Amino acid sequence: MKKKFKLSNLYLVVIFIILYVPIFYLMFYSFNSGGKMYDFEGFTLDWYKELFQDSRLLIIVLNTIIIALLSAGISTVLGISGAIAIWYVRKVYAKNFLLSLNNVLIVSPDVIIGASFLILFTFVGIKLGFTSVLLSHIAFNVPIVVLMVLPKLQEMGASLIDAARDLGASRWDVLSKVVLPYITPGIFAGFFMALTYSLDDFAVTFFVTGNGFTTLSVEIYSLARRGISLNINALSTLLFVFTLLLVVGYYFITKRNARPIGLGARK
Amino acid sequence: MSTSTIIRFENVTKQYDNDAAVLDNVSFEMERGKFYTLLGPSGCGKTTILRLISGLVEASHGKIYINDKLVNDVPANKRQVNTVFQDYALFPHLNVFENVAFGLRVKKLKNADIQKKVQEALRFVNLEAYENREISEMSGGQRQRVAIARAIVNEPEVLLLDEPLSALDLKLRTEMQYELRELQRRLGITFVFVTHDQEEALAMSDEIFVINKGKIQQRGVPTDIYDEPINRFVADFIGESNIIQGKMLRDFVVQFDGKEFECVDQGFNPNESVEVVIRPEDLEITTKEKGHLKVKVDSQLFRGVHYEICGYDENGNEWIVHSTKKAVVGEEIGLYFEPEAIHVMRLGETEEEFDARLEAYDDQGVENGN
Ligand SMILES: Nc1ncnc2c1ncn2[C@@H]1O[C@H](COP(=O)(O)OP(=O)(O)OP(=O)(O)O)[C@@H](O)[C@H]1O
Ligand SMILES: [Mg+2]
Repeated sequence: MKKKFKLSNLYLVVIFIILYVPIFYLMFYSFNSGGKMYDFEGFTLDWYKELFQDSRLLIIVLNTIIIALLSAGISTVLGISGAIAIWYVRKVYAKNFLLSLNNVLIVSPDVIIGASFLILFTFVGIKLGFTSVLLSHIAFNVPIVVLMVLPKLQEMGASLIDAARDLGASRWDVLSKVVLPYITPGIFAGFFMALTYSLDDFAVTFFVTGNGFTTLSVEIYSLARRGISLNINALSTLLFVFTLLLVVGYYFITKRNARPIGLGARK
Repeated sequence: MSTSTIIRFENVTKQYDNDAAVLDNVSFEMERGKFYTLLGPSGCGKTTILRLISGLVEASHGKIYINDKLVNDVPANKRQVNTVFQDYALFPHLNVFENVAFGLRVKKLKNADIQKKVQEALRFVNLEAYENREISEMSGGQRQRVAIARAIVNEPEVLLLDEPLSALDLKLRTEMQYELRELQRRLGITFVFVTHDQEEALAMSDEIFVINKGKIQQRGVPTDIYDEPINRFVADFIGESNIIQGKMLRDFVVQFDGKEFECVDQGFNPNESVEVVIRPEDLEITTKEKGHLKVKVDSQLFRGVHYEICGYDENGNEWIVHSTKKAVVGEEIGLYFEPEAIHVMRLGETEEEFDARLEAYDDQGVENGN
């Protein structure tokens, strides 16, 4: 029994090593003055310096951030409305059906989503570029926000709304003074998740971008194809660290959610 | 204090979807400034009545009046009625002050007025020092008071309380019963209080409505409900009782357990089949010879204030006795009772018929041991 336990631990460790070693390898050589992914010659920050002097790259970074913030923001608004709509559905099977539709969008492969958006955009005649990327990011972010917000709504229970109505609140008051404040932690969690998904999305963006508009992940891909420069390593390192920060932020928000209600969302 | 009607239900029926009626053709009136209790077992429709009054559900049929105004189409947020909910339903994202201020804020009162009224309401429920606490930092009893303050700060004409004491422990509960009753006197508004605890209902109310299966079985002041239950359900639900089949031989004489007894009931047909109620505390233990009934003690429980003794007579009827004196299990004892202790119930009598019969003997000017 004990041996088996150890074996499973070992398995986990091996998996994590396999997953993380390439990333750390890549990060490690971003500090290599030798300019190659082997033979570590000496520590340097030159690749980072070069990165920050490359104005084209900086614009791409800016694009990526704008797309992430805009799509996360817009999809948060849409996702909240969607979650509230699903929550209001009284028939159980209709509710489950809507929820399944939502979840299918989350689990379906990015390639399929990207390809279908490409077809849609060319069909409708939307020029590939900023708009098409933004629209598709919103599209794959909305289900994520719905999934984050809905449990909070379900946890709220109908009696709070009854109480608000009883105290004289109009429908708008109920929404703005009770429902939204209550689900705020869920909204934040949804927003952060959407942000991370948008920032590191490659497949969907790759399909629907065009006319010179790129985001970081697509750019890294094309740089990597062109040939090895440790620029890419530096850029990937920064991206990795940034995503890590987002994950940590998300962790703290969800931890706050788990606390007893009332402590979490102070006015 | 004016005694005019504040709430009136006219033939109100409530069905959810197409299920059987939860409330079945209910009519009643409630007077201003009184303490009413809706009493009944779980699922009988108590909360439904409150929600119909507050406007959180709509009646399927019938008319509801508040202050002589038809309110069937008035939404909940426009009614001069506030509720203390079964689970309190306090807003967890707001602190105590903001919870109480909620109703005033949505009515867009000035900040200074809100400040004043909220403090006053909190003082009313003895929570003035707790303004800035979070709800999660309050105990059960304190939460309940916040819920009351949140309701009364709006100065409603009717306060609805849905089993507000059910989550509290016995001691706190008794304390809160006094406080609630006192609060109602000070505010002078109508309270409609829901409970399934009969002792609570008897202790607190001006008038009790006993409800079962969506119908009002009996309404009246606590002593009437206790002493003169209209049917088996009410007799059984309000306190413990011994209920046995009997026959009303003629006015003032009832037969049960194979014997004839003098009683104070009348207005029955000769030899009508009836049910007879005797409360356990009205039975007195004596010797076999002196008792009206001979009972063999089967079991005995110590209940604190009294012993609860259970025994069977020679015809196999079960008798429960509450006595401060101890009995010996297995021994035969005698049970003695006064004629006034016997309450005779007509089978299947409605509330109207029951009231008419009682009135009939009052008109004859007969003393009837109430
Ligand atoms: N929204 C609803 N949809 C369908 N049925 C309902 C709904 N609300 C209540 N009921 C039914 O109505 C009946 C009466 O419910 P109500 O809540 O009035 O009972 P109650 O007397 O308050 O009971 P308790 O003491 O348990 O609170 C119950 O049988 C319940 O199942
Ligand atoms: Mg109830």
